[in-house]
Amino acid sequence: MAEQAEDQEQEVSSGAAREPVMDAPGGGAPAPEEPDDANPEAGPENVEFSTGSKSIEIGNFRVFLDLRMPEFDMGPCKAYSADNLRRDEGSAFAVVADPALPTRQEHINFLTGMHMAGQIDLLDSEIAYWPPFGRNTMVLFYEKPAGGRVVTGESKKATIDEHEIGTVVIEPLMGVLQSFGEKNLAHRNIRAGNLFYADPLRQKVVLGDCAATPPGYAQPLVYETTARMSADAAGRGSGTIMDDLYALGMTLAELGIGHRPLSKLGDQEIMDLKLAKGSFQAIASQERLPLVLIEPVRGLLCDDPEERWGFAELNAWLDGRRTKPVQANSEKRAARSQNLSGRDYYTVRSLAQGMAKNWVSALAPLRDGTIEIWLRRGLGDNDRAKALADAMRQLQWAGADKRAAEDVLVARAILIMDHQGPVRFKGFSAMVDGLGYMLSYDVQHGRGPQRFADVIVRDIPAYWFGRQEGFSPEIQKLQQVYKNLRYYVQQQSAGYGYERCLYALVRNQHCLSPMIEQEYVVEISQLLPALEKAAESASEDSWPVDRHIAAFIATRLEDDIEGQLMAMQNPSDEVEYSRAIISMLAIVQWRHGPDNLQNLSHWVARLMEPAIKVFHSKARRERVETEIPKLAKRGNLVELYNLINDEQERRKDQSEFVEAVAEYSEAESEVFDLESSGPARLELAEKVGQQAAAFASTMIALLTVSALFLMHIF
Amino acid sequence: MAKGKSTKKGGRSAFSGLSVVASAVLLFMVALPTFVTLVVGLLPSLVAFIFDRSPGRTMARCVFGLNFSGVAPYILELWQVPSQTVGGATQQIFQPLALSIMYGAAGLGWLLYLAMPPIVANVLNLSAQRRVGELRKKQRALIKTWGDSLIKEVDRSGN
Repeated sequence: MAEQAEDQEQEVSSGAAREPVMDAPGGGAPAPEEPDDANPEAGPENVEFSTGSKSIEIGNFRVFLDLRMPEFDMGPCKAYSADNLRRDEGSAFAVVADPALPTRQEHINFLTGMHMAGQIDLLDSEIAYWPPFGRNTMVLFYEKPAGGRVVTGESKKATIDEHEIGTVVIEPLMGVLQSFGEKNLAHRNIRAGNLFYADPLRQKVVLGDCAATPPGYAQPLVYETTARMSADAAGRGSGTIMDDLYALGMTLAELGIGHRPLSKLGDQEIMDLKLAKGSFQAIASQERLPLVLIEPVRGLLCDDPEERWGFAELNAWLDGRRTKPVQANSEKRAARSQNLSGRDYYTVRSLAQGMAKNWVSALAPLRDGTIEIWLRRGLGDNDRAKALADAMRQLQWAGADKRAAEDVLVARAILIMDHQGPVRFKGFSAMVDGLGYMLSYDVQHGRGPQRFADVIVRDIPAYWFGRQEGFSPEIQKLQQVYKNLRYYVQQQSAGYGYERCLYALVRNQHCLSPMIEQEYVVEISQLLPALEKAAESASEDSWPVDRHIAAFIATRLEDDIEGQLMAMQNPSDEVEYSRAIISMLAIVQWRHGPDNLQNLSHWVARLMEPAIKVFHSKARRERVETEIPKLAKRGNLVELYNLINDEQERRKDQSEFVEAVAEYSEAESEVFDLESSGPARLELAEKVGQQAAAFASTMIALLTVSALFLMHIF
Repeated sequence: MAKGKSTKKGGRSAFSGLSVVASAVLLFMVALPTFVTLVVGLLPSLVAFIFDRSPGRTMARCVFGLNFSGVAPYILELWQVPSQTVGGATQQIFQPLALSIMYGAAGLGWLLYLAMPPIVANVLNLSAQRRVGELRKKQRALIKTWGDSLIKEVDRSGN
């Protein structure tokens, strides 16, 4: 068992062991364990590209490929110097998103073209060809802050006086958080390393990028709350303003002590320390916090979100008023430990984390009731013990798949121990609001969608929702989003599956179809131009719609295409399959253009042969076959679709065909009757012949008698 | 019901037989020469009626019709003689020509009965062949208009 547990642990952590390959799409994988905050100048970035042209024009900007600006890097997304071609004053820089990581659409929409004190200005965003990647990606253009980076890594000493932190840091950042809060958004990238002086006099700071990577992806682990820190970096979730306030607390701590808190410890040690002592105590026990900052840091690093300082408390502190004291660590500690795989655990959250790390060996103490007894006697937590007993009772009702039921038990037990934490399942660990980003990361970094599919099929998020206490609009909203995921995953046909979940959960996920992946298609309006390009080199027998494109259209298009997806469930029915594909593409062109798609039209025309079979009449088919090349030349898919989908003509054709079939069948059965009725006809002929002979004989007799009688009279 | 029907039919047949016998007795009593001529002349018909057990007795009716046509002229000739005697009637009917005409006519009736069914069978066969030809032509025209899908659909719906 112990060996199995060890294997499991290795399997779980294997993703983290991957070596990042910088400056290649997906090169940021895995999560940045140690961002270059401490030493931003490190690395061979200055000589990394050797393209013929040194600059590239993207939209209204000129980006200089050989002028790297590593201080503005955001995790795996590299920053380059840029010129704004429309404006003379001010300078800009470009953050080139890693195409293997989705960007944050809501944040881009919110921040583009808007000036917000405390937040770096996002001037524009473009999807453009990026020569070093050899493919398209998202490029974000920011106004370069005049004062440079706050944490340079050059000196150990704090660059901002601790007494000025309130006006220089907290006030502008509070403004940002309030603006984000009004839009129900969270920044999720607040850290000392992402702070810049807005002016050369260094009187205010601004926050850097928050849109180029998934939420919290680029954050060092210490900046994440105890609830979110155990999730994989890509699955830390969108979070709320409370997570931003926690990060603000940690930022104050870093600015106060002059280096990142707990930087000497590894991630696992940081997690253990924070779970054992609570966030503030963990920092306070290892670092020397300036006296003036102890109160706000303690308030903001409170692990209970209900108790954590908000804007009212921060404002009160800035005004010099006393605020209510917060409990340093609200986590209940057991009188005796619970041992798991050779380690002692005293709190439920640390035990949950231990169970997630030792998946296989976690089952035994659950099944023999050791953990339930520990919850009752060690912690006196009867509610959790009862919930665990219920979960174990459900294991007895499990059907044939006992193994899967045991995995579900462990996953549920983890959620019982840590209901605010991530959904954890056999190495998968993501917050419920980060499942989409986690799926995107897994799919684009070679792990595949299986872990996500397992979590959804086993309905683990539903159990997470069930464990949440009280009413929360955010959770209600999440529940609405996740309502359909299980159905999508269980459907095998195109337009559903994990692909549908991916595009439904991550708004800015580009289409991952191998045909157009390089084009970085995020919006539905970009789809057909990308397919038009792909059509130039498409093979004769390939279809222009695969599983990814079908799911992408189903999610992004405003129209309902469930009918077409239903028709695509049976690829062996070539007629309906091809009609559904042509119909889908025609709707997209009708809605979003462009009007002329010659290559795609020719591609579609080649594949229309089965769709022509929708007509039964040879004359109609011949007419359609002559029309197709003419319409394909015009590049209009709608006209092509209308040609095979003239409902009146189809109905007429169908009814005439039905009549013809009936006519043919009737003739066939009549012929059969005539050919097989020889003996019966002979019998009939004999009967009729005899009757005719008798009749003729009688008539002759009557005529003879009549003639004789008349002769006698006259 | 069926029993009642057959009883009714049997009753009518018995009534018909009885009326024939009554007519024959009446004829025997009133016009014996005519009776003798009829009995001798219609002998083939009597034999046919006795041996023909088929429903409707078509053969007997065939033989009787022409047989009677052969006998009728001699009955009329007999009636033209003012004083009818059995001897005159016997003399008249036992002439070879008279017997040949009466029995020959009966034979023609029998031949008519034999020849008519094959003629009708040939007519029916010819008519059926013509109809099959028309239907095949119609099917070929349908296939020309609708192609192989018509055959496939017919096979599919047949299965």
